Amino acid sequence: MSQPSESRRSFLLSTGGILTSAWLAANASGIAAAAQHAEHAATAPTSTGFEFLSASDGADVEAISAQILPSGATPGAREARAVYFIDRALATFFADRAAAFRSGLAEFQLAFRTVHPSAASFAAASAAEQVAYLGSIDGTAFFESVRMLTILGTLSLSQYGGNYQGSGWKLMGFEDQHIFEPPFGYYDRDYAGFVPYSTKSKS
Amino acid sequence: MSARTFKSGETVDFVVVGSGAAGGVVARELSHAGFTVLVLEQGPRLAPSDFEHDELKYSFLHGITNDPAANPQTFRRDASRAAVQFVGANPLVYARIVGGSSNHFTANFWRFHEIDFNERSVLGSISGTGFADWPITYAELEPYYTKVEWEVGVSGLAGASPFDPPRTKPYPMPPLPVKSSGALLERGARTLGLHPFPAPMAIVSRPFRGRPACVNCGFCMGFGCEVRAKSTALYTMIPEAEATGRCEVRPESYVFHVETDNRGRATGVRYFDRDKHEHFQKARAVVLSANGAETPRLLLNSTSARFPQGLANSSGLVGKHLMFNQGAGVHAVFEHELNEYKSVQVTRIVHDFYDSDPRRGFYGGGGIDGRIGPQPIGWALVTGSDMPRWGSDLKARLEAFPRSMVCAGHSTSLPLESNSVSLDPSLKDAWGIPAIRVTYADHPDDLAMARFLQDRSVEIMNAAGARKVWKADVTERTGGVHLLGTCRMGNDPASSVIDKYHRTHDVRNLFLCDGSSFVTSGRGQPTMTIQALAFRAADHIARFARRNEI
Repeated sequence: MSQPSESRRSFLLSTGGILTSAWLAANASGIAAAAQHAEHAATAPTSTGFEFLSASDGADVEAISAQILPSGATPGAREARAVYFIDRALATFFADRAAAFRSGLAEFQLAFRTVHPSAASFAAASAAEQVAYLGSIDGTAFFESVRMLTILGTLSLSQYGGNYQGSGWKLMGFEDQHIFEPPFGYYDRDYAGFVPYSTKSKS
Repeated sequence: MSARTFKSGETVDFVVVGSGAAGGVVARELSHAGFTVLVLEQGPRLAPSDFEHDELKYSFLHGITNDPAANPQTFRRDASRAAVQFVGANPLVYARIVGGSSNHFTANFWRFHEIDFNERSVLGSISGTGFADWPITYAELEPYYTKVEWEVGVSGLAGASPFDPPRTKPYPMPPLPVKSSGALLERGARTLGLHPFPAPMAIVSRPFRGRPACVNCGFCMGFGCEVRAKSTALYTMIPEAEATGRCEVRPESYVFHVETDNRGRATGVRYFDRDKHEHFQKARAVVLSANGAETPRLLLNSTSARFPQGLANSSGLVGKHLMFNQGAGVHAVFEHELNEYKSVQVTRIVHDFYDSDPRRGFYGGGGIDGRIGPQPIGWALVTGSDMPRWGSDLKARLEAFPRSMVCAGHSTSLPLESNSVSLDPSLKDAWGIPAIRVTYADHPDDLAMARFLQDRSVEIMNAAGARKVWKADVTERTGGVHLLGTCRMGNDPASSVIDKYHRTHDVRNLFLCDGSSFVTSGRGQPTMTIQALAFRAADHIARFARRNEI
């Protein structure tokens, strides 16, 4: 096996606190491979501007996303910067969905202004107005599109523009690691072992 | 010995189309038997370091699977309707890399039971279906199931299930460590008088034949394994085939036509290389292991004056009887953390409902397992009738992710001649080859069985102490990853495409071996049987070749 790189050594040291030395020794080659993957995923750029959306459209999309996954004790879509993912996705790998999204957004904005003529925009409306209005369009193709993109933007790797500093994974309590040692959870910690059946137990 | 590289124009004993679960086994066995073998694979060859924990890429951007932009497909519910393309998705999904779908499978490796092979004789016919017995028995396949477990590498506990069919050897290594989902499934099922047992998985629990044990990263279903613990063809059969010095695996080689001569014998295959340059590879015999979607497509595209309706299609059944396996899950939330995103998908399963029971009022059988289900994105996107879809309720469901699990049913699909892979009359892929058109509608019994297992899953989770249980939607299939039945095996050339040795009824030196060979669907975990069939097929093909009977 090749010598571990400095970062791989650091990785192994950093996980040593949660993994037992016996388990580490028994699984050394697999751990080394997993460590390389952790290095791959270590860096991610931060998005700062829109490519596909205008500033006002971006504000409305962010406001919708923030009601789909609201802020609170744990991060929501706004903290995950899901709107930057949505913008980048529609400009690049989901470009085939961009035209439908743009027209859906325009229809959404027009219909919202019809219902709330005094509101400057959906983003400027009160939270109660936003929630009530989204409830009225739940199930439409546009709402489904924003819902899916919001979830993707909150939980995809940060390199795609959202999930800022792993905030989406914090929301879900997901640990971004490549190696885990049993026990994994509360219910397998004290598992007593599989008890065989007698042959006559089959009904 | 290093891998062989065949010269341009060189005739090989066998050309194998596809390097996945079946193609890998066939290549390994035939090259071990002394024959020269060229494996042609549509996709590239990736190294373990190429695989990532990137849910967006693998589940939504077709990271290693057939790309709807380059390899488009269409879908229709029945032949009276126009087929349509889905936005950004294909109905039939498979991994398009060396090792095929064995790279991204979940690694559930159930053997079929004896009943799977003679169910038609036991239960009788089912009106309007192609329900039939297999031309082989479980006993004939048993030695090859054992071979899969020991040659490919399967973890499990022999004799643990009172429903298991007979076996001649134990598993080569113990089950993977139990997870909380397994412990809870076991608790709930035993409370109800059921018989949960450790899941057999094609993931190594101990170092095995030069591969390391699983490090429990959790990204199995839909992902490639980054440490080589998953027993994929890429890590097992393919390198062992190459090590004979008689096998070459040629990636990015897209076969689009099987050539035949005026005697009706296969002479080789035409394929495109990575630069879309066309080549012809001569072979003494051809084995198609391209999966249950691409094998029938290739046959239907291989028309000639002698075979105007496609190759090996005198029965008219190439592409017919498409099956996926139905199934449905429930999401359950518990008081304490399970952290299901860690480790393999499944550690405990229940086979008490495996057999069809006429008292239920419909045909079908299946198994239930406890599992992660999808990783975070897939988890968040799952919908069900009373499952929150947005707002603070959705957020609460996502916050409960570490305390949640899936209890999933996996069940039968009846073979219907109207469900098929055919050629789209107008759509072509990026190489100009006619695309797949899928026609599919579930039999009502398949949906009833899925709902039955879902109801049992709710009972198991409640008995295990779940605080909340949600049912995911039971939906009519619009596609799948288990691609089965499209070139079915049988003794009668009028009602099947291949014989019991996987030789096509129509072309003596053309063999088919993959999910397309299935006569019935089994209960949801087909790859173990695909590989057992491949070991058996290769065994017989090698004997035929030695006796000059090809």
